[in-house]
Amino acid sequence: MAEFLLEMRGITKSFSGVKALDGIDLRVRSGECVGLCGENGAGKSTMMKVLSAVYPHGTWGGTILWDGAELKAASVRETEAAGIVIIHQELMLIPQLSVAENIFLGREPRTAGGLIDFDRMFAEAAKLLGELRMGHINVVQPVSFYAGGVQQLIEIAKALSKNARLLILDEPTSSLTKNETAILLRLVKDLKARGTACVYISHKLEEIEEIADTVTVIRDGAFVGEAPMAQITTGDIIRMMVGRDMSNLFPREEHPIGEVVFEAIGITCLDAENRERRRVDNVSFTLREGEILGVAGLVGAGRTEMVSALFGAYPGPHSGEIRLRGKPIRVRSPREAVRQGICMVPEDRKAHGIVPGLGVGYNITLSVLDEYAPAGLIDEEKEFSTIGAAIRRLRIKTATPVLPISNLSGGNQQKAVISKMLEARPRVLILDEPTRGVDVGAKYEIYKLMFTLVKTGMSIIMVSSELPEVLGISDRVLVIGEGQLRGDFINDDTLTQERILTAAITPRTPAAAAAA
Amino acid sequence: MPETTSLAPNPSGVAAARAGRERTLKAEHLKGLFNRYKILALVIAIALIWALFTHLTDGDFLTARNLSNLLRQMAITGMLASGMVFVIISGEIDLSVGSLLGLLGGISAILDVQFHLPLWLNIPIVLIAGALVGAFNGYWVSYLRVPSFIVTLAGLLAFRGILLGITGGVTIAPVSNGLIAVAQSYLPDVAGYALGVLVFGVLAFSTLRSRNKRAEHGLAVPALGLDLARLAVAAVVIFGFFALLDAYRGVPTPVLIVLVLLGAFTVMARRTVFGRRIYAVGGNLEATRLSGVNVQMVKLMVFALMGAMAALAGIATTARLAAGSPSAGSLQELDAIASCIIGGTSMRGGAGTVFGALIGALIMATLDNGMSMLGVDTYWQMIVKGFILLMAVWLDVATSTKR
Repeated sequence: MAEFLLEMRGITKSFSGVKALDGIDLRVRSGECVGLCGENGAGKSTMMKVLSAVYPHGTWGGTILWDGAELKAASVRETEAAGIVIIHQELMLIPQLSVAENIFLGREPRTAGGLIDFDRMFAEAAKLLGELRMGHINVVQPVSFYAGGVQQLIEIAKALSKNARLLILDEPTSSLTKNETAILLRLVKDLKARGTACVYISHKLEEIEEIADTVTVIRDGAFVGEAPMAQITTGDIIRMMVGRDMSNLFPREEHPIGEVVFEAIGITCLDAENRERRRVDNVSFTLREGEILGVAGLVGAGRTEMVSALFGAYPGPHSGEIRLRGKPIRVRSPREAVRQGICMVPEDRKAHGIVPGLGVGYNITLSVLDEYAPAGLIDEEKEFSTIGAAIRRLRIKTATPVLPISNLSGGNQQKAVISKMLEARPRVLILDEPTRGVDVGAKYEIYKLMFTLVKTGMSIIMVSSELPEVLGISDRVLVIGEGQLRGDFINDDTLTQERILTAAITPRTPAAAAAA
Repeated sequence: MPETTSLAPNPSGVAAARAGRERTLKAEHLKGLFNRYKILALVIAIALIWALFTHLTDGDFLTARNLSNLLRQMAITGMLASGMVFVIISGEIDLSVGSLLGLLGGISAILDVQFHLPLWLNIPIVLIAGALVGAFNGYWVSYLRVPSFIVTLAGLLAFRGILLGITGGVTIAPVSNGLIAVAQSYLPDVAGYALGVLVFGVLAFSTLRSRNKRAEHGLAVPALGLDLARLAVAAVVIFGFFALLDAYRGVPTPVLIVLVLLGAFTVMARRTVFGRRIYAVGGNLEATRLSGVNVQMVKLMVFALMGAMAALAGIATTARLAAGSPSAGSLQELDAIASCIIGGTSMRGGAGTVFGALIGALIMATLDNGMSMLGVDTYWQMIVKGFILLMAVWLDVATSTKR
């Protein structure tokens, strides 16, 4: 038998010419748990999609050895048959069906007459859960009866019932409470003892530290290193995750910073479905005139939820106070926010930013169209002169202002969405991941624009998952981790990616909370 | 450090991929052409259907009298369709309009027959009542978040029930001559020609104005010859249209109403804040909401507008039948929806025009009229109309580039 259960060698994968993975190695022994670490966008999920044949053999380079033989799977069905099962961040259970029906979905035991043999199905499901120390789960109840953490366990049980020999857990605890996480980690340890191998992907390094035997770190699609967990610390992992050069991609310009204009006090957002869970937990901060405030943190930390709450767009229950120039204001909807001078460019451009069928120009004037129609009819002359000015100012590349915005490149769409919010003349502009999916040239122009705007006295809150960007642009940096404010740093020479990442993953102790 | 393997691309695979991409590009180009000239395709479709019926009826179909009747037949569906098109563009549906038409037509008949209310009071009251009922539907849809399919299905049942209750299930007659005139009078010759001149004048003026505007803002201006040719075609069509109607008895009042709606709603769609927002809401509700637009109010207003159009259609129906009938408007909602869809309105929301919806209504009316002249059985008429609707939606889906 081979030394390794799984050996991935020199995996490469490109998306329309852009290399997402550039020669990554990953090795897993039987009964071993490998922690896979990397920053947002390092290529962890792409790697797992290669392994589970979401991207079939032939669409990527390199070799995968499974149990000593080369694996050339064309579909997820084949890798599952081989014993590789992936559990995604979003659960794939059908809430209305019972626990047992979910576990046996697609391979239900049948009676001689072809009907589902429920007695056998329930008995087998109960036996399976009993073996996994999950005997307290009632297999007859619908899955929706149980909370997210238990559902995650059911998903794992389902995977094991398919005779999984390698379990891939992709951020399994991102939506779990502390207790639920503890139960999940105990289960993974049990599995290791039974000989099931596991690849554990998580931003939460304390979890990696607890259960991983080996750690593999990747960065920007490249292999960085592999080491036994016993020989390294979480500090080492962070250094390996970050260690990249800062180039001068950021056209930093000096600008004056004035008095506090905006205060957020005790912002708390509860999960819309699981009210026990706090997506944002009592976050307070201030913002000064002409300041660029970077909001850093790992994906799922609650940054988008927090800024949505400031803009009146958070869908679940939330509380907290917002003050503009010292006066408390109410922001119950985006409309009120825009009126008060708070504008937001959302993270998901396609779903929340653009109206695809409308022309570029019509997208730009969407928020302020009232101003162009004092007498009922839209004054097209005035509207188009504004649109023309906006297009020239942000150098939006479009054939005509009436071209549907969906025909533009990502960077130009983003510039148009930013223009739309600038037309409303905000005092506070929130940019959520402003350069995601934007090419380098457009990125540079967006940064330039940000500095031009703060020089006019506007204040900017920029949420970003790219630490170099946060360090390259911000005047001050807030660090959010698991919904809490874990750092509020002045961005001077002493602030490094290591310090930000360390703050992001270090749970707040009472002492640290008092100091902050 | 482990070594990095990079695989050279397989040359035959690359060639196959390129050929595949070129095929896709060609197909996409054809789809794009079809999408851009959808309205033109519809006009050609009408011409073909008319030619077919003319041939089959030995020319009886293409007489001034029949075409005038045909237009009168389509007028009521056209009124409903010009409201429905905005409901569908905003991403919703309204199944209650047939029953609402019946209810409001019945109320109009009762106000006329039992209360002898003058027309100048009767019509505004019914229109306002329609707008209020529509706003009620819209409130349930946009503020209480019940899917429009359900809200208006409930309305389809309930409004018909109310109508049966207030009429006691019997026809309300005789309706006054004034009300009858709404559907059965004609605009005399001179006024008809004057109208034609007016329509053409507006069209020519707006074309020239748009040319100047486009030039001013640095937009591409179509060649002058092209625009002039377009205007010439428009002139022929407009004068042909009015000459044809005058050759029989003049412009029927309901047709005139539909023409006014066409003009007013086209301006509304293109040149008002409300119109622009209907398209934005249907195109991407979330993005529109996050731009600071009161999207709930936009939807409510769209339903209110639909209600007012149902009222107008109800009055016209009562006038046409010269009575308030408890079964008036049954299944009319389906004709209106079908007209919009055949006319190129996207069920996904965000795209569609009033002109297209009216062309759709004309196609539906043409099929009814032509097949009746040929003595085709009613059951065949229904089958053919169903088939045409299915084909129209399939074409929309098959040529959709939003995949």
